Amino acid sequence: MTEQTPRNTRSKQWRWPLSPETVRAVLSSHSVLGLAFAAVIYLVCLTGTLVVFSPDLQHWEVPQAPVVPSLSDRAAGRAVLLAERQAAPDATLSLSLPGPARAGATLMAYGNKRAEQTWAVAPDGALVPMDAPWTEFLLHLHVNLHLPRSWGGFIVGLTGVALLSSLVSGILAHPRVVRDAFHLRLGGSRRLQEADLHNRLGVWALPFHFTLALTGALLGLSTLIVAALALLLYRGDTQKVYGLFIDPPPPADARAVPMPDIAALLAIARARTPEAAPQTVSIARHGRADMRITVNSARPRLLVPQDEVQFDARGTVLAEEHPADLALGTKVLGGIGQVHFGWFGGAAVRVAYGLLGLALCVVTSSGVTIWLARRRDRGRAAPQWERIWAAVCWGQPLALMVTAMIAMVAPRAPLPITWLVLTIAIVAGAALVRIDGARLAVGLRRALGAGLVALGLVHAATVGLGPIDGVLCLGGAALLALTWPVARRSAA
Amino acid sequence: MAPALVAAGWGLPAIALALAILAFGPVKGMALALAMQAIGALGVVWQGRVQRKAARPRAGEAAPEPLEQPGRVWRGVLRALLAGPLGMVAALAVALCVAVYLPGDPRTRIVLSGLLMPVLWGLAMTWTLADRRLLRALAVLVGTSLLGLGIAALGGAA
Repeated sequence: MTEQTPRNTRSKQWRWPLSPETVRAVLSSHSVLGLAFAAVIYLVCLTGTLVVFSPDLQHWEVPQAPVVPSLSDRAAGRAVLLAERQAAPDATLSLSLPGPARAGATLMAYGNKRAEQTWAVAPDGALVPMDAPWTEFLLHLHVNLHLPRSWGGFIVGLTGVALLSSLVSGILAHPRVVRDAFHLRLGGSRRLQEADLHNRLGVWALPFHFTLALTGALLGLSTLIVAALALLLYRGDTQKVYGLFIDPPPPADARAVPMPDIAALLAIARARTPEAAPQTVSIARHGRADMRITVNSARPRLLVPQDEVQFDARGTVLAEEHPADLALGTKVLGGIGQVHFGWFGGAAVRVAYGLLGLALCVVTSSGVTIWLARRRDRGRAAPQWERIWAAVCWGQPLALMVTAMIAMVAPRAPLPITWLVLTIAIVAGAALVRIDGARLAVGLRRALGAGLVALGLVHAATVGLGPIDGVLCLGGAALLALTWPVARRSAA
Repeated sequence: MAPALVAAGWGLPAIALALAILAFGPVKGMALALAMQAIGALGVVWQGRVQRKAARPRAGEAAPEPLEQPGRVWRGVLRALLAGPLGMVAALAVALCVAVYLPGDPRTRIVLSGLLMPVLWGLAMTWTLADRRLLRALAVLVGTSLLGLGIAALGGAA
């Protein structure tokens, strides 16, 4: 064991349960896994950190979209009627009402034959289109890397498993987890500084990292798990597995019928569960006699809405469910997405998730930096990999920032292709150019800082200053300020 | 520092967790507390940071070094197969057994087995990448896969 600290009373009382050789073997496993998945873990964590703020980013992209603090039942009814006229006949309509977790009302129409349509709802129920291409691009980059859904989801799920495994091996390979719990030694040896950052950010936010990795892995691997279950239990019929969690469709009846009074249905739902507030209204098969309208309501002490009242096309109550009626599995499944993205507790929780998401990005980045520093200390420096890793860490936010700029001026631009080209160009450029990795990192940070400030200023100048513009300008200025002393040191 | 003070310090997160559960409900309170506590703890660590002059690390500060393992290609390929597809199948086999045999509502069994599968696969990854006896890992994973899938298939067919 490389630990050479003097013996003390505490070490006599308690010893790390793994032998020094096992610790080194587990650390080796941690290194191998971390290095193999570092870039994709970093990308998924970085995009995930941004996706936490997607409700805010949507409004940043479409500033004319109203953000109502509350919506009357009458306005909700009008919004649904207006959406019904514009949506595809087979689309499902979903109205999200403003609540403590999320300001503003939005209405989404989604189906198989046409792309999703999203609107923001004004106080009088009028609809304002809310197409936010950059937020959408970011979400799909995080969820399936813009690959076909099942393949992309599987890779992201595998990344979640690799992260879970890295967390377990990271803890097992850290005998001084308690003794060093509060140590943060900056300056001095680069490797020690990065190791302290890596370990402190990894250990103190471990429950968060573990929860995110587990829920992300489950969301990504769900197709595979459902397929295996279906193969085993239902001769490969996956619909039977999904059918355990969703109501079966009613007998088809395509006769045209008018939309019932949504305001009246909301009042009925409120009367049935007075302790819960309606949060979403979903309408399947709108305009048809077999239409189903579902009102989901949320209680303040529950993570997600668990009260549901279902109506038919005439507004008659067909079924209702309350928390006591739900199986534990249904409750857990309902909460997984909310816990993963931090959309359950308002802006404060989103900011906390954002900070902890950044911490996970730093943990990933510093893990590779430690490996590179160790190689350098041993006289086996890998300057090309140092440059490539700098290009991944600082080039990815730079590429995402450039796609945001492009989306601002050309909303129909193909963002996934643009991102891919930028990523390849930055990484290939870093591999080929003869420059020190640290200097390349400084250059990329400066470009990112300047770009963020420019993005915030241009957006503020064209559509008015918003909170995200302030964050962009301050963040960009901070990055620029931080690179100055580093640049002087490098030059010296 | 007095052990009582240290114990009180470590007890603070537990008390905060209990208060959050009381205030916001069990699941929501726990989710909020775990996220906010991490921020608070990292704030405390940042407050206590030490700025040092550039120097080589001292011997006592050195962290454990990874074990240098033989770098043969076939070992690398086998290790990747064990940690990847074989680990996945073994984890899936155990999770399917849970889905089939655990008592209770089928929806709960399915969701719990779904949550279990990534954890088991992650543990299999950690173990197979750390264990130098690759044939032992291979035997355990293949055995677990065959046994688990067989037992689950028997239960599923019943």
